[in-house]
Amino acid sequence: MDILPQIIANAVIAGSLYALVALGFNLIFGAVRFFDLGFGALTVVGGYAMFFCATTLGMHTVWAIPLGVLVAGLVGLVVEKTVYQKLRVKKASSMVLLVASLGVFTLLQALIAIFFSSQFQVPPNDLFPHSVVSFAGAVMTPVQLAILGSTLAVMLGLGFLLHKTLFGKAVRAIRDDENVASIVGINTKKIIGRVFFLGSALAGFAGIMAGLDTGLEPTMGFSLLLKGVIACIIGGVGSVFGGVMGAFLLGFVENFGVWYVSGEWKDAIAFTLLILFLLFRPQGIFAKK
Amino acid sequence: MEYLVHLAVLISIFAMLGLSLNLVVGYTGLLSVTHAAFFGIGAYTTAILTTTFGVNFFLSVLVGFAVSASVALLIGTVLSRFSDDYYALASLGFNSIVFSIFLNWQSLTRGPLGIPGIERPSLFGFGFTENSAFLVLTLLFLALTYGACRAITRSSFGRVLQALRDDEQALQVFGYRTTYFKLTVFALSAGLAGIAGSFFASYITFIDPSSFTVMESVFVLALIIVGGLADHRGALLGATIMILLPEILRFVGLPSDIAAQMRQVMYGSLLILLMLYRPQGFLGKYRL
Repeated sequence: MDILPQIIANAVIAGSLYALVALGFNLIFGAVRFFDLGFGALTVVGGYAMFFCATTLGMHTVWAIPLGVLVAGLVGLVVEKTVYQKLRVKKASSMVLLVASLGVFTLLQALIAIFFSSQFQVPPNDLFPHSVVSFAGAVMTPVQLAILGSTLAVMLGLGFLLHKTLFGKAVRAIRDDENVASIVGINTKKIIGRVFFLGSALAGFAGIMAGLDTGLEPTMGFSLLLKGVIACIIGGVGSVFGGVMGAFLLGFVENFGVWYVSGEWKDAIAFTLLILFLLFRPQGIFAKK
Repeated sequence: MEYLVHLAVLISIFAMLGLSLNLVVGYTGLLSVTHAAFFGIGAYTTAILTTTFGVNFFLSVLVGFAVSASVALLIGTVLSRFSDDYYALASLGFNSIVFSIFLNWQSLTRGPLGIPGIERPSLFGFGFTENSAFLVLTLLFLALTYGACRAITRSSFGRVLQALRDDEQALQVFGYRTTYFKLTVFALSAGLAGIAGSFFASYITFIDPSSFTVMESVFVLALIIVGGLADHRGALLGATIMILLPEILRFVGLPSDIAAQMRQVMYGSLLILLMLYRPQGFLGKYRL
């Protein structure tokens, strides 16, 4: 099969993009225990913030990317402080938080569409060469290789942060029980704020890379979010490594599935995988339980 | 006047959707995000039966009810294994799968091209082709739906639903097979959504998959949350607010693309504010 290497390459690239989203989502979910749908809009915020810096402000891509990441992180932090934190203080159920995050998602996505139009746009790229790289019969772009590389780097970095630092210990304590964590003297507000900043920045980064790879659209956040959530669940919620593995599994199943049927079924394939996992292995591939 | 009739028809159709979804979300406490799928199944059933096979509209409503309810039984069997967030996520997945089927089963649904030329209902030679006549018919069905939902929630069956919403385990201890109750109400609710879909297809006379996306389910969910969960009048109020609110923008004279996004801004802000300050909605009796 001469098309096989390309399908594998596509699966790996798709998987690493999903992994990037899954890493950020998992971080936030681990700390606050609700499905933060607003996370999807933050990928769009990051992508368009980078777009704005690179076009309107005329910045070089090297500077536009970190600025975009920063903006996404800050917006995530503001949302946490103005909405989620207040709801947590009121002891709102995770359903209320879910619905509120749906509101956040809708609001942010619509604001982006108003400022940047709902048209498809391609951000300028003067960092990565506009050539292709051939490897073992598969063709990839430098942007795609950068996605793969940065996903691995982020995975290692996050693993280190969560398991080897005091901050990580605090996050894991909050994950186990927020009240007990605050009783033993952890400043849970501050730590959760940082988690939101970090997770949202990762979402922004994922959005930027997706934008550089395939272009920007205000509605792209929803599918990125869903793929990230599905990856988290099939990998095991709360596990850094599991989320990444889940993302790659999703990438492979999607791309091989599309090879057999047609491209339009991609989302249906992803959701079928999700439902199968929820039914038969809800704890994910690498669960400890 | 024609404009007001148009709005009234839309409000009635979405009120039917809200009433039926409230049975599942408000009264049974299952956060379903797949209502647009059943809305779509009803709409496609009517569209296909009336255009291709020349079946009478009212018969197609019955078939639409049956098809929606049957599909809901299948989906509900899987969904009944989940609760809370996972229920929401899995149901959203089913909406996405059903949407893919609308989009890709082209020999049946014509895919993205949609189905045009759906006829308005007619009975014994009388055609409800005028919008005002259609409105009367829709209001009649809205009243029937309202009555049905009220009867369901006031019956002993409905009281079991509310009890299982508040404490499922306690009810299981008393020997109730809660799964059957959840499945039955899910199928009933889906069937009613199918009826709303039939009216939608017949009113707009053209349908394509874009009306039955996950975002549409979210819209109906937002509608009942705004109006109030576990209150039938809440669904009516929610539909009125959610349809009328963006119409204000029409008079401001924004370009249509911006106006469409401003609607989303309104819905988004409304959801955030309600969750912060009144999580049970305006008339609601149940908090998520």
